[in-house]
Amino acid sequence: MNLWLAACVGISLTLVPCAFMCLRGSSERRLVGFEMTSLLLTLLLVALTIGFGRQPFIDIALAVAIFTYSGGLIYARSMEKHL
Amino acid sequence: MNAHEMFEAILLAGIVASCWIGVFGMLRMRNPTEALHYLSLPASFGSTLLVIAVFVHTGSSLAAWMTLFICLVLLSINSVVTYATARAFRTREKGYWRLLASTDGAEFVPHERNS
Repeated sequence: MNLWLAACVGISLTLVPCAFMCLRGSSERRLVGFEMTSLLLTLLLVALTIGFGRQPFIDIALAVAIFTYSGGLIYARSMEKHL
Repeated sequence: MNAHEMFEAILLAGIVASCWIGVFGMLRMRNPTEALHYLSLPASFGSTLLVIAVFVHTGSSLAAWMTLFICLVLLSINSVVTYATARAFRTREKGYWRLLASTDGAEFVPHERNS
């Protein structure tokens, strides 16, 4: 295991408290947990790409960053009145 | 472990630390708006360290420049999403509200939808 994969383990363990936050509590707290999860997932995918030496896969991290943030934005907008 | 790998290890440790501090801070805050502030730590500090670490590891490669672009995306979109989310929380709490023209722009007050 190289340094990057060790860092991936450290980052991926942070997803456990995020899942806890997403699954419990009010809708507002769940949304914050979702946004933190999307952010950490992007960092994790970049680190995994470098760790495994598969540099073309970094496009997945870019796509995840853009689409999950857009999803969070839409969710927050609909949360104002509908959820 | 040479100095190059040592520097890389310090950067990666900083990334992991920023993620953990952000997550613990988010969990500790009772108010969702307060918890929202902790998004900025991995988004700004973590992603910046990640860009430096990737440049140190791969040099000037396509992956390094793509990581820089991802960092810029995170920095720019995170502020927009955080603002929109905080605004959604405020609207959800107060109902329909708007900024009064008489104020200096710092205070929002609840306002009836039909008035």
